[in-house]
Amino acid sequence: MKKLFCFALTVLLLGGCGKSTLDRGSASGPGAAGTGGKVITVALLPKSKGNAYFISCKAGAEKAAKALGVDLLFDGPTDTDPAKQNEIVENWITLGVDVIAAACDNKEGISTALRKAQGKGIKVITYDADAMPDARTFFVNQATPEGIGYGLADEAARLLNGQGEVAIILATLTAANQQEWRKHIETRVAEKYPGLKIVAVRPCDDLKDKAQAEATALLGAYPNLKMIMNICSPAVPGAAEAVKQAGKVGKVKVIGLGLPSENRRYVKEGVTDSVMLWKTEDLGYLTVEAAVALVKGTLKPGDKSFKGALGEFEIKGDNILLGKPFVFNKDNIDQFNF
Amino acid sequence: MTRHFRELSVAGALILVLAALAIFAPGFYQPQPLLSLATREAPTLVVACGMALVIICRQIDISVGSQFAVCSVSAGLLAAQNTPTALVGLAAIGIGALLGAINGTLIAGLRLPSIVVTLATMVTWREALRLQRQGAFVNLPDRLQWLGLSQSSGQWVLVAAAVALLAALGLAMRHVAAGRFVYAVGTDAEAARLAGMRPQLVTFLTFVFMGALTGLAAMMNVAQSPQVDPKSGTGLELKAIAAVVVGGVAISGGRGTLWGVFVGLLLLACVSPALTHLHVEAYWEKAIQGAIILLAVVADGVRTRKTDR
Amino acid sequence: MSENSRSRWKSLLLRHETALLFVVVIEWLCFNAIGPRFGTLDNNFDILRHTVEIGLLALVMTPIILTGGIDLSVGSLLGLCAILFGKLWRDAGLSPFAAGLVTLGLGALAGGLNASLITLLRLPPLIVTLGTYSLFRGVAEAITRGADTFTNFPASFLFLGQERWLGLPTQMWLFCGVAVVVWLLVHRTTFGRSFRAIGFSPEGARYAGLPVRSRLALVYVLAGVVAALAAIIYTARLGQAKADAGTGYELFAITAVVLGGTSIFGGVGTVHGTLLGVAAIAVLNNGLVHARQPREAAGMLTGALLLLALSAGVAPKLWAAWRSRHHASPSPAPKST
Repeated sequence: MKKLFCFALTVLLLGGCGKSTLDRGSASGPGAAGTGGKVITVALLPKSKGNAYFISCKAGAEKAAKALGVDLLFDGPTDTDPAKQNEIVENWITLGVDVIAAACDNKEGISTALRKAQGKGIKVITYDADAMPDARTFFVNQATPEGIGYGLADEAARLLNGQGEVAIILATLTAANQQEWRKHIETRVAEKYPGLKIVAVRPCDDLKDKAQAEATALLGAYPNLKMIMNICSPAVPGAAEAVKQAGKVGKVKVIGLGLPSENRRYVKEGVTDSVMLWKTEDLGYLTVEAAVALVKGTLKPGDKSFKGALGEFEIKGDNILLGKPFVFNKDNIDQFNF
Repeated sequence: MTRHFRELSVAGALILVLAALAIFAPGFYQPQPLLSLATREAPTLVVACGMALVIICRQIDISVGSQFAVCSVSAGLLAAQNTPTALVGLAAIGIGALLGAINGTLIAGLRLPSIVVTLATMVTWREALRLQRQGAFVNLPDRLQWLGLSQSSGQWVLVAAAVALLAALGLAMRHVAAGRFVYAVGTDAEAARLAGMRPQLVTFLTFVFMGALTGLAAMMNVAQSPQVDPKSGTGLELKAIAAVVVGGVAISGGRGTLWGVFVGLLLLACVSPALTHLHVEAYWEKAIQGAIILLAVVADGVRTRKTDR
Repeated sequence: MSENSRSRWKSLLLRHETALLFVVVIEWLCFNAIGPRFGTLDNNFDILRHTVEIGLLALVMTPIILTGGIDLSVGSLLGLCAILFGKLWRDAGLSPFAAGLVTLGLGALAGGLNASLITLLRLPPLIVTLGTYSLFRGVAEAITRGADTFTNFPASFLFLGQERWLGLPTQMWLFCGVAVVVWLLVHRTTFGRSFRAIGFSPEGARYAGLPVRSRLALVYVLAGVVAALAAIIYTARLGQAKADAGTGYELFAITAVVLGGTSIFGGVGTVHGTLLGVAAIAVLNNGLVHARQPREAAGMLTGALLLLALSAGVAPKLWAAWRSRHHASPSPAPKST
């Protein structure tokens, strides 16, 4: 019987692996690594798997990979343990990829692995969320934490005329970028909008249902609440649904960072006032393009701009700037389909 | 008094929390937010009822969160293709029962330990769903929300359905033969077999029932919002198990009541909103939740220790 | 070959551990054939490095499960200890070594909390550690307010997690030390036998005169200490300590133990089986990256592997039962009236 077990497992593994060799050819466009001329392999690391935001980035990255004829690897952690990203990067180092593009969940933690990659001659860039500056060559910057935090605070002040109580819903208390955005929101409010008061900060574990529950509790606990600000994407529709169910549409405003596709319904109904985001597909496209250019040597440290299929992007220091984030509202949300 | 000590001690803790809210945050007691809270917890109550049966049967099911997600997404995808609501609901329950039957076959048929089987199915369903959906929300047609009713009547229907199910199950567990079979098998499967029952069949059906209830809960959750999050149900198994054991169901099987589970769930469901209402910073929440679980069971532990002597 | 030694060989070959060893070897050869870099020394050191923390937790989970218990709090305790270690080093100004020692002590204390609730109040381990699972993670979040991160550790400390010493990743030496100690404890001392006895029947063990409570307390305190050690190694490997360290590790550890042939009901199991279970999962996780499979596949295959391993264990019994029933059918069946 044990033999049966071994045999079944072998079949399982061989089956899985046999499929992989097929996948490689179809997913990555012309030529897998090792055939004929050297094909550049770009490894793209999202913060987490199964996240619509990064799937949208991946779509752009795949387009770029096809256009440039490079091999694209896309993998990320499926749980929230901070060590997982490091393990994937270290696997890629031994796999011998040419360039790693990482969206960093933990600035200091992942830098350990990225430095190791650089030591092995692998180029490293970051996108979405930066690592320590010495652990990568460039950061494809879709918006600085400052830009996001200040942007949200400004939008809140504009909608509330600078007066009222605001609650924040974020993904988890331990997520580094969430804390950074929160800090910048609080700084901006403290400096510029004395009338705004941040009364509560609640985590939603990156789940829409939990965000809805948290928002319902917030609405009850803070009767003078004027706005719920959501800085992770599942929270925006969650909070909007809670406000709608509580019958407080218009009295309590909802804004946040989120995908237009997930929020279109609420924006049109007037529950959610505005959603901020950059063009995620462009972010993925630009990241792969810049990564390839870095390997080929057409992009070097010290360059002042980067020209690609999407146009010319300014480089400020070692940050490649994607441009300002968009604010989606009732008037323009139908023009975007991601 | 001694027979239902755990239920009473948990009820005492619940009353303490509610009294604290009445004094320090009377804003908690408003009809509309309370109804919303109840509606949000209704699916969890349904899952907790099923979990109570499973644990009384001396098994455990940690795959319910993943089953919940699979059922929710399947229901959502069906609804998006304009399937009638009743069919969507039946499909969700059917898929849940099917997933439960898979667990049941492995556990009752092959006699594998339930904690390990459901650990494996938990990971497998969750990852398969992630691979398939890649995290994309499912958008539902408008008619599905509140099952086509108005919001407040929809909320009442969902809450009433959950409570009615609890009451029916609570009575059935006491007064219907099938319910007593579950207790008997959980107390001593061999004795139950000698008494003419078929323990493996009872176990199998318990898991199928658990799956069907999970499907029903998923449908109740889908009916509350116009989108389905494929990550929904993450951590649901822990919530349900905590409610069941805090409510006095013995993890060693054969003991416990659904009323206790109800009180346990009420206590745990109140903690998070209570902390929001009491303006406690969010980073204390997990610690307080853990402390409450421990305190609720420690009270019982101290008592049994005394009676043992 | 004499009849006796042949049957001994046969029983050795039919053992769960032997089958699992085959599985690990087959996995390794499979992935080696697919991934050109999989078989390199560097990669195999990576596998070891990535597995040490979960391996440590699985090692100490083995005696716990042998006694019929379970510890869901080890992952959260890892997070809490990482935070405490960072706090002691950065805020209390201790050297990493001294901070490490104190952290081990605190880990023992946390394990002692589980132990005392389980042994003194006779509460089921599943419920107690479900509570401390929330409690430990919650305290870690409360201490750091979720956001505080400890980093910039000295290179001499990071050596523990990122460099090699005498040819192996440094932390492997610690891991081997713990593995040897746990193996000896379980397989070569009377303690080990008492763990199994308790797992088979706590009452029976008590009547046999075994100090059930102190033995139970021992395994949970040991788990606390080793979780603290895992936290220190984890911090050294990542170069940072944060409140979410080790999320979900308890499930990996339990999976590895059960895959390794330890019965979840207690009484049966081996430490080397656990080590093979850890290896099977670790090689699978790493190898699938080299086979360019998505991360999700690792989870799904682990689940399938677990079910396969379990079914293989019971299949012979069921087969025998089925056959005997069919062979028996011509003989007079019990009358149904």
